[in-house]
Amino acid sequence: MNTTLQTTPPGLSEYYSETKCTWCDGCGDYGIWTAVKCALVELNLHPWQVCLCYDVGCHGNGSDKIQGYRFHGLHGRVIPFAAGAKLANMKVPVIAFGGDGATFSEGIGHLVHGLRSNYPITFVLHNNANYGLTTGQASSLTWQGQPMNTSPNGIPERTLASMDFIFSLEPTFVARGFSGDIKLMTRILKAAIQHRGFAFVDMLQACPTYNHFATHEYLLERYFDANADGHDPSDLQQAKTLAAQVQDRIACGILYQREDIPDFYERLTPRRGLETTCVEEVRKYDVSEYWRELV
Amino acid sequence: MPRISVKIVGASGQGINSIGAIVAKGLKRSGYCVFGYREYPDLIKGGHASYQLDVSNERVRSTETKVNVLVALNHHGLELNMEELKESGIALHVTPGWQFPERHQKLIKERSLRVIYFPVDDVLTRLGAKAILSNVLLTAFVWSMFDQDVDALKSLVGEKFAQKKALLELNMRCIDEGYSFVDPEEGKISVALPSPNKEFSSHLLVTGSQAMGLGAIHAGVRLYAGYPMTPSSPLLSFIAGLEDKTHMVVKQAEDEITAAQIVSGAMYMGTRALTATSGGGFDLMSETVSLNAMIENPTVFVLAQRPGPATGLPTWTAQGDLLQAVNTSHGEFARCVLSVSNSQDAFDLMPVAFNLAEQYQISVIVLTEKQIAEALYTQEPYDLEKAEIHRGKLVTDPEKLKALKSSDRYDPNAEGGISPRWLSGSDAATYCAQGEEHDSMGIVDETWGNIKSQMEKRMRKFHRLKAGLPEPRLGVASHGEKNTAWMDEGDEIELLVIGWGSTHDVIQDVMCSEELRERKIAYLHYTYLWPLCTQDLQKLAKRSQRIVLVEQNYQGQLGMLIRMECGLDIPDKILKYDGRPFFYDELLSLLLEKFVDTTKGRRVFASTSTKEKNFRGPEPAGSSS
Repeated sequence: MNTTLQTTPPGLSEYYSETKCTWCDGCGDYGIWTAVKCALVELNLHPWQVCLCYDVGCHGNGSDKIQGYRFHGLHGRVIPFAAGAKLANMKVPVIAFGGDGATFSEGIGHLVHGLRSNYPITFVLHNNANYGLTTGQASSLTWQGQPMNTSPNGIPERTLASMDFIFSLEPTFVARGFSGDIKLMTRILKAAIQHRGFAFVDMLQACPTYNHFATHEYLLERYFDANADGHDPSDLQQAKTLAAQVQDRIACGILYQREDIPDFYERLTPRRGLETTCVEEVRKYDVSEYWRELV
Repeated sequence: MPRISVKIVGASGQGINSIGAIVAKGLKRSGYCVFGYREYPDLIKGGHASYQLDVSNERVRSTETKVNVLVALNHHGLELNMEELKESGIALHVTPGWQFPERHQKLIKERSLRVIYFPVDDVLTRLGAKAILSNVLLTAFVWSMFDQDVDALKSLVGEKFAQKKALLELNMRCIDEGYSFVDPEEGKISVALPSPNKEFSSHLLVTGSQAMGLGAIHAGVRLYAGYPMTPSSPLLSFIAGLEDKTHMVVKQAEDEITAAQIVSGAMYMGTRALTATSGGGFDLMSETVSLNAMIENPTVFVLAQRPGPATGLPTWTAQGDLLQAVNTSHGEFARCVLSVSNSQDAFDLMPVAFNLAEQYQISVIVLTEKQIAEALYTQEPYDLEKAEIHRGKLVTDPEKLKALKSSDRYDPNAEGGISPRWLSGSDAATYCAQGEEHDSMGIVDETWGNIKSQMEKRMRKFHRLKAGLPEPRLGVASHGEKNTAWMDEGDEIELLVIGWGSTHDVIQDVMCSEELRERKIAYLHYTYLWPLCTQDLQKLAKRSQRIVLVEQNYQGQLGMLIRMECGLDIPDKILKYDGRPFFYDELLSLLLEKFVDTTKGRRVFASTSTKEKNFRGPEPAGSSS
């Protein structure tokens, strides 16, 4: 994140929208939505300074319930769009949001390559362990055996071990939040937005309408702030263990972080030493130098 | 137009391209126009491949099926390509003790062919050179056949090996050996070239892909994302090869969906970004095209055509994806489809495509073909003054930004449906680029009035675009692309030919032929294929004795669009769908048949009768009407 800090700090009200919220009562989206606004304000970012990219799903219905330059795209495709936006203008912080259906089914390839590329963006996973907006089908993060719309006998597939999967891709930032703890989520999001590369933020959230297994109460009973318990985010082995153990207690907070790995843009040899962004460089170019070898 | 052709054949990986490229560059520098055409199978090593150069001292931009010189790097070339030699043609080969079958012995006699065996292995052993240098030997021999200056070849080869002295010396010795070789039986062989035209020596030798890459960089493209797929890959390679000079962001994406999304994100942010693919990859991009229509995000996609369906024929050519470009993606929306036809407009149309995309806030699909992407053109240096950068209603001025309201972004009352656009990071009111139907600010709005007014807003751009696009270009036999007296006076046109893409250049050559230059033949070339302008076409059609559609697809897809747009049916078609481009002599004879038979095939409106015939290149076949 490298936006120039403004002299007038933003107020939370700058992010208010006239659009009424349409999420179900008790939906985890309210908490995440609030924490995002808090984090941006605490980072001194005005709405015009940020780019918020939404995938399709219940969370994506928040795209018109906040201020900022926003994009609401196709199901599963938010990561590459956000990456393209960021690479074009490195001066604007780019935050992408996606649900567990989009991220671990439709667009899982993008997640793999987003992590591998270490794009300098933040990715917030709205993880309610089902497809809410299409009325409660199982996602690959739904518990196996759980009866859902279209799978009345429970899904035959195994549940994807999402954190093992994420860590197998050598991430540079992994955090987990809970939609019931805005203070914790705000702390995580601020660190994620300031992270050097691809920040993966798993937000566990309730889906009161369709998720009757990992409910708000279920998560509330089990989550804890691992950093407050002394977890050091530079400890990879500890981070992996904490991330994967979700049966009795669910470790939240910044699970893993390293700032010594260059992001994708920093690895682009042709961009080294350039102060300008691709957006600022659009003009007509003299290409005669490039055809000299062709004469 | 005097034309000489040389065809190098052999296995992929044997160095066909390096011989072709060096001879082409050498001849071009000596003052010849060269047109290079490659055929190769979908593999890296082996198979049968060819590189043909058609050479003239006038502008040449097509390939003949018959050649003056055949260079066979293996015996398969002797088996497969002997029949392509013209009267008194030359077969140069390297296969020791080759015995021609009876039918070829007969052919050699009938056509007075000369066969030269070049003992490359003996010479290489004597020089202590590796097998790859056989290409240099043969190049030098071909050079001597064309009576070209040996020093010119040496300086050309020298450029490649300037840093490697030992290799350079060996190359020079191979040139001397090859150049001075005389076949003991045939004696000194000479292929007369017409006198050179020095104008060509300063021209470039470019492929359509290089031309397009140069055009894209010229147009201000700063980010390129792509996924390899022939025949779009050479563009990706060319752009990537220049990245240290252009300082562009180049990303090889994990798939075509990603490439399309990265480019869309970058364009949304406000730079100029490009991606290219072929038909199968474009299928994957099509959902993104639809998205960009809804958020009114300017984007440019290059669709490099090869024959389908499915994997089809990756290394061959076609014009089979026109309807795909025009119709792909769900929903109704405005888009622009245009097609390049050669190395000139592959360059010129890139700034045009980006201007159209930004001015109308739409996706522009630029069609090219394997034939254009990989053919080698002799191209006069590009005019760098001509192009302009137009960014449409992009607001960047700080004062104007301050005055903007969120509801300006998708204002349904905007003139022509084109509303102001401003970028993330601009100190202004913000909005949502909303993929769901939305109101003027990008807020989801499913009320009937809003749905209707936003659809109408977006579609107004289609009507404005259609009104603003140029009509198709008219070319007339032997008179270039200007109207001649007989056109102005309203005399009947004997034959009106309609086509698009790579057909353009072949027809231009054909219309300059002895047989056609005095005939009243006109060629209407469609660069802008969607929206389709048919006014000029309809006027010309009324004055034409006969109209023929020339396309490289099975259905006559441009003909289908023409009929859909204005009801004009063109039952008379020359269609080719065998992976080969139109060859000069083939198209000439097909068009001549149309003159012989002018009583048949008059235009018929809204008729459904179509008859086609497949042509088997390289042997020209007949057409139907």
